[in-house]
This record gives sequence, C-alpha cells and structure tokens, in this order.
Amino acid sequence: MSETSILHIAGLRKKYGDFIALKDIDLDVGEGEFLAIVGPSGSGKTTLIKLLVGMEEQTEGSIWLRGHRLDFVPANKRPTCMVFQSLALFPHRSVGQNVEFPLKIKGVSPAARKKKALELLEMFRLPADYYHKSIGQCSGGEKQRIALARALAFDPEILFFDEPLSALDYRLRKTLEKELKNLHLRTGKTFIYITHSLEEAMVMSDRIAILNSGKFEQIGPAEEIYNRPKSRFVASFMGDVNLFDITMDQNSGQVSIPNFSIADDVAGSMAIDPLAVNTLMVRPESIRLLENTETADFVTKGKILGKYMLGSRIQYEIEQDDRNVLIVETANYSRGGTPGATVRLGFSWPQSHLILEAAS
Amino acid sequence: MNAREQRLGICSSLPLSALLLLTFIAPLLAIAAFSIMPAKVFTLAHIPDFSAYAEFVREGYWKSLAWSLGMAAVATGLLLVICWPLAYAMVRIFKRFTLIITLLVVMTLFVSENIRLFGWVITLMKGGLFEGYMHSWTGIGFDGLLYNVPVIIFGLVYIYLPFMLFPLTQGISMIPDDARYAAADMGANRWQIFKEVELPLAAPGIVVGSLLTFVLAAGAVAESKLLGGQAVIVISDDVESAFTYGQNWPLGSALAMVLIMVISVLIVVTLMKVDLDKVMGKVK
Amino acid sequence: MKRHTSINILFYLYGLLTLAFLYLPVVAVGFASISKSRYLRFPIRKYATGWYGKALTSDTVMDLLSTSVTIAVIVTVVSLVIGFFGALAFARYQWRFRKLYQKLILLPIFFPQTVLGLALLMWFNTLGITPTWKTAIIAHLVWITPIVTLIIAIRAYGFDPSLEDAARDMGCSNWQIMKEVTIPLLMPAVTSAGLFAFLLSWGNFPLSLFTTGADSTLPEWLYAKMVSGYSPLVPTLGVLSVAASAAVIATAFFIRAMIPAVKQARRNYQQAH
Repeated sequence: MSETSILHIAGLRKKYGDFIALKDIDLDVGEGEFLAIVGPSGSGKTTLIKLLVGMEEQTEGSIWLRGHRLDFVPANKRPTCMVFQSLALFPHRSVGQNVEFPLKIKGVSPAARKKKALELLEMFRLPADYYHKSIGQCSGGEKQRIALARALAFDPEILFFDEPLSALDYRLRKTLEKELKNLHLRTGKTFIYITHSLEEAMVMSDRIAILNSGKFEQIGPAEEIYNRPKSRFVASFMGDVNLFDITMDQNSGQVSIPNFSIADDVAGSMAIDPLAVNTLMVRPESIRLLENTETADFVTKGKILGKYMLGSRIQYEIEQDDRNVLIVETANYSRGGTPGATVRLGFSWPQSHLILEAAS
Repeated sequence: MNAREQRLGICSSLPLSALLLLTFIAPLLAIAAFSIMPAKVFTLAHIPDFSAYAEFVREGYWKSLAWSLGMAAVATGLLLVICWPLAYAMVRIFKRFTLIITLLVVMTLFVSENIRLFGWVITLMKGGLFEGYMHSWTGIGFDGLLYNVPVIIFGLVYIYLPFMLFPLTQGISMIPDDARYAAADMGANRWQIFKEVELPLAAPGIVVGSLLTFVLAAGAVAESKLLGGQAVIVISDDVESAFTYGQNWPLGSALAMVLIMVISVLIVVTLMKVDLDKVMGKVK
Repeated sequence: MKRHTSINILFYLYGLLTLAFLYLPVVAVGFASISKSRYLRFPIRKYATGWYGKALTSDTVMDLLSTSVTIAVIVTVVSLVIGFFGALAFARYQWRFRKLYQKLILLPIFFPQTVLGLALLMWFNTLGITPTWKTAIIAHLVWITPIVTLIIAIRAYGFDPSLEDAARDMGCSNWQIMKEVTIPLLMPAVTSAGLFAFLLSWGNFPLSLFTTGADSTLPEWLYAKMVSGYSPLVPTLGVLSVAASAAVIATAFFIRAMIPAVKQARRNYQQAH
C-alpha cells in the first residue's frame, strides 16, 4: 500500500453461484486521483462498484480506505457516495430537498442545509429558484448537476460514478465530461468513474483501468493504454486498430508478417518471444499511403474497399491480397485514393507497438 | 392525440360507457330522486319533501353509519399494518413464492364471501373448530367468539385482505431499487429509508389499497350479519331493511345516498390525486 | 441488503401464516360437510358423505346450479366482448375523454355491492321490469365488466403501439390490425379475464340477492340458509361450490399448459403430410 493511497483493494473476488464475476482484483487509488474503470458489458465493472459502495458482499479479498477495512462497514455507514446510472433522484422530493437529503440524514438543521443546498446549486450554475422545482420539470443535464450536487452535499471521501452520462445525447455528454473534469480539479476529491466508453475515460481521467472478464487487463494513464496496450483486447477496445500476427521461422529465426515486407534492420531488432503470441499493433493514423518510390519500415499493398469521411480525417478500408482488411486514416487535406484503386502502404517501427501475450 | 385514435377511443369505449350509464349511473340518479320523495311511495310522481333525510337524523340511523365507517377505518388501518410486510416480501424477498401467494390469494376471491364467513362461524362458535377441540382436549370450554364488534372487524380484515395486499405490492414495486440504494449510500438507516423513500414512493398503492378496503368495508353487510349477529347494525343493513321489510324506498334511498355521498367524496378526492396510468404500469 | 437470511425465513413464515389464515375457514367448511350429525359440533365424531348424495340428487340444488352456471356463462361472454374494447379505450388509445372514462369505470368496483344491488332492484322496478335471473346478469355485468376491462387494460399498457403502426404501414385495415396484431397480443389477458368473470359471477351473492327476483343462485341460497338457521346442506353445497371453482381453475391451467404440446403435435402432423 503506497503512502498516498486512499483506496486499497486486495485479492477481491466475487462469485455468483458458479459464475466468477470478479477474480483477484488488486488496485490502489491515489488521494485526489480521477480513476476510470472501463470495460465492456459483462466485464464485471458493475459488480466491482457494488462491492465498493457496499450493495454487495465479496466472496474473498478486502477493501481498505485509508488503512481501515471498508468491506465490513454497511453501505449507509461508508464515507463514500455514488452517482447512479439512473441518477436515483427522488421523484417525490423537490430539487432542494434532493440536494439536502444527505444533510437531513446527518441531522443538520433545516436553515443550515438550505444554505448549503443553495451554495451547491450556485456552484452548478442552477438558479436559486430551482430549489422548489420538482425533479420531473428538470432537463437531463440539470438532473445530472442535481445528482452531483447531492453527492457533494454528502461530502464523501471518494465519489463513485456508475456511467451517469451514458443516457445523454452526444453534445450534452461532451459538455458534462468537461464539467466533471473541472469539478474534480476544483474539489480535489478522489473520483472513481465506471464506464464502457473509452472516449469518456480518456477525456476525464488521470488513470484508466481496463476490466475484462472479471480482471484488470491493464492500468495506466490514457496515453499508455492507447499507445502501449498490453493485450490485443486492450488494443482493440481502445478504438480502431490494426493487429498483425508475427511469425518466426523455426530454422532461420527470420521474423515475418504475412504480406508485409520488413526492413532488415527493423526485423533484426524486433524483440519477439518465440513462446508467446506476438502481435504488432498499428493505429490507423500511423499508416501512410506511400508515393511510388517512397519506402517505410513495414510496406504492403492493397485495394481500397471503402472511403469514409470522419470530419478532420478520412478513413480507408484497404484489402490486402490475403483478404485481410486494414484501417487507415489520413488527414482530410492529404492526397488519397478512390475505392477500387490499388495503393502501397507503410508505417514506421517507432509508431507501431509490439504486444507479447502468453499463449493460451 | 390524432383523429384516428380519438375516433377509435370513442368507438371502443361506447359499449362499456353505455352499459355503465344505463345500469350504474341511472340507478344512482333514481336513488337520488327517490331519496327526496315522501315516505313509502313507489313512484317519482310526488312532491319532494326530504322527509327521509329528517328521519335519518331523528331515528338515529347516523349511528349505523358511524359504526360502518368506524369499523371500516379500523379494518383499513389493521390491513395496512398486516399487509405491508407481506407485500414488501412479495416484491423484494420472495421469488417463486410470490407467484404462489398471488395465485392462492386470488383464488380465495372466487369463493363466495358468505361461504368463507360461514367457515369462520363454524370455527369460532361455541362447539366450533376452536372451542370444540379445546373443550375435548383440555376440558375447558369458553363461550363462542362470535357476536361482538371485534369479530366483525376481524371479518372485514379477512374478507378485504386481497384488496389491500395487491395495491400495496403494486405500490412497493414502484419504488426504484436505485432510490433505496442511493438513500442507503448517503447514510440513511433502515427506518429512514422506509420513512423518506419507500413510504412516499409507494403512496399511490397505499392510497388505492386503503380507499378500496375502506369503501368496500363501509358498505359491507355480510360480516356484521353472519359473524356479528345483531351486535351492531351497519348502514347497509338499514338500507336493506328499509327496502325489503320496511317497504320504504325513499328512506332506503336516503340512507343509501348518505353512504354514497361519503364514499363519493373520498373516491373523487383520492382519484383526482392519483395518476391511474402510472399505478397500472403504463410504459411511458 | 445482505445477511438477512434469518429475517427472510420470518417473512416466509409470515406468508404461510397469512395463507393459513385465508384458508382455515374453507377447511372448516370442508370438515363440517362430512359430519354425519344433523347439528354440527366439533370435534366431529362420525364422518359421512351422505349429505353429498342428498345434495346431488335434490331438484332444488340442480335448479340452483343451472341458474348459477347460466348466469356465469352469459356474464363471461358479454363482459369479455365489452371489456376488450373497453380496455383498448382505457389503456391503448389517446382520446379526449379518456381520463374521465377511466374514472367512470373504476366507480362500480369501488361501490358497495349491497347498495348497488338494491339500487338496481329499484331501477328495474321503476322501469317496470320484473327481476328474474336475467336481471341478475345485468347486475353482475355492472360490477364484473369493469374488472375484466382493468385486467385486459394492464396487458394493453405493456403493448407497444408501434406494432399496430407497423401493421398499418404494411397495408392492414383496422379490422386486419385487430385480428392479426391486437387480439393475439392481448389474448393471454383475455383468457385470465374470462376466468375471473366466470368465477366472480359464480361466487357472487350481494348482487344476486336483490336482483334475481323469484329465482335463486347457489351463493344466494346458501346465504339465506345461513341467516335463517343451520342446515347440514350448507357446508356440503359450500364445498361443492368451492370445488367447482377449483375445477374451473385447474382446467384453465391444464389447457394453458397443454397449448405448447398441442401446437407441437399440429406442427408434427403438418410436417408428416
């Protein structure tokens, strides 16, 4: 357990009957950190957050908050608070009463809690007359802010988020992502945010933990997860990617990738493990369409199947001779090709990433 | 709300509306009209004199009404307390058992209520199931448990239990899990969750269940006749006597009108506040 | 939210206790019906089934049964037809007077049946109609049709209106939509509503009491006997009435359970030919 760690999870395991939802989860979260836990549906992220807030009980392992066992504490005694996916605003209470709810439970006097509620409404740029408004009259974005205000009124040690933005439309989501990030900076609290959207996680968080089939695949800053994934799963989970199997000739030790010509010096320096599954990863934006005489560390050719306008970039689907389809993205001002044309493609060794995974 | 749905709505509601207008609203209007006629007339071709209402006050019929409403209120209160834990468990705790309970409770509704009350008569009477067995096992007997006010209330509780239970389960199932978890997450204990979240969110079910049991119990007559003997006379009993033995339709109508007024005020006030679509689970 | 196993057991016990409370009197009636003595007294010393033989050969009882069954069958059919359309207007269509209509339908359910029966008696007399078992059908309909409507309406609430729109989009007429989409989707509710209608009519007595005139239904006759004095036939006929309800429910469940098997058999038959 590190010095500045606020939350420490050791060997956490959760079984539902025979089904193992979480296996051997270890995690340390730093004081004031914004950690995003990302995983596809069924990865166990909802189970994990339920254990953290006390809605479920783990099968094995322990959870610690600043050195104190947390998992023995019932949900209503934990100094943490969650913003629910449904937001769980009380429909029978006004906006003000919702924000005040945790204070009322703590026994704060009505005058003091109204003052605090109005402060929080102001902090979230909600007019003071919203205090008496009913929840049903508020828009989606307003409800988000009210839920955040209510969670902050609780003044938790750690604020948990269970995909609170997933039901909103794109533009509103983008605005609120930034607001959340600013809120984190302003309050200095520890945020743990669960989502299935990597984009959301990358915009907001300091560190991202990728959860797959009940265990963490990789934990690190967004840049590391995006550029240096530890597994094919993480690589493909983080947006479009090209993955190539690397083979090594048993006799000559020659490294090769089907349909690619590899520069000799590069082939020699690729540190592959003959006993592992070796994969070369290249992001679409790192592959270039080559001029006639231009060369690169890795070169292949293929036929353009499709061309899609993405706004600032253009995406191509390009089919190699063995029917493998590459995804390539170029800046939209750069020279390209038309569907049906055959093109040469290449990328450089430093812009690719080698993934070594134990053979299963 | 487009023109086609407007047309379809009116057309398909027509048979039922017509049935209820002719056989429900019209008889009620007839009762209202008879209630202001002079005593013991059998047509409406007389000059109204409101004498039947005077008789309601003078002859002490209001006592019967008070008994009916009082016993209904006590039965409703008891049913709320009795049914809440069961309804709660049916929504939150029982799994397959909920279906079994639902089926078995619904099935009792199909047994004529007088047969079920008769069952209690032969259970509670002197020489009945309870006293008879106790006497033969211990030698100690007691007078029957019948023919008093508590046993009438017991009968009301027994007969109207399903009418409280099902609206309550519906109400409790309207409480989102997240609302309860969120309250617990923010530090609320079991009692605070009940008071601050569950009770107010289940309110529509509580209101509908209480209204249903109160109204039906206030108009009930079989419980007081079969279980209560002549311990107290309830208002419906008076209405019945006036119509049958008394052959005094205006008096019977006036007594019925008083009961109907009390009930209507309750129903109208309550139904105005409850959104039926929501209670019945409309998908929004 | 956890470690509540022992409390859960208490809840289960409470549920069982409630069921025992609900069924105890029915059991008592069952025991009474097989007592040999003419004057019931527990504990029962001698058991006999003779009263059942008497009941089943009595002309009075047969008249009572046939009146009750006839009323229940007619009430079921009529209330289903009216209630089906009534439910669509209640839950499915958005129209101007819907809220008012919804409240109108609830009123008879919330109304004391004794008073309703008396009101109808007076109304029939005012109209110059002599009450017979036919007027009792009307009386039952006033109370049962709204219940049938509500049961079908609950199902209609869960019904996605875009299914009807899709059928219309594919060229169906209003009648075809009804036949191909609406009726099949609401069918489960219609069958359970039919079951309710039959059984509620079969067991009803406060409405029958005043509206059958010289005719009599089974529950009505039982009530008259109970009020006027004990007859050993009361528990016997009570049990027979309950048994008939149970038989109807069992048949309904059996038929519902058999539907998949019948469909499978038909499919096999069609494949074979």
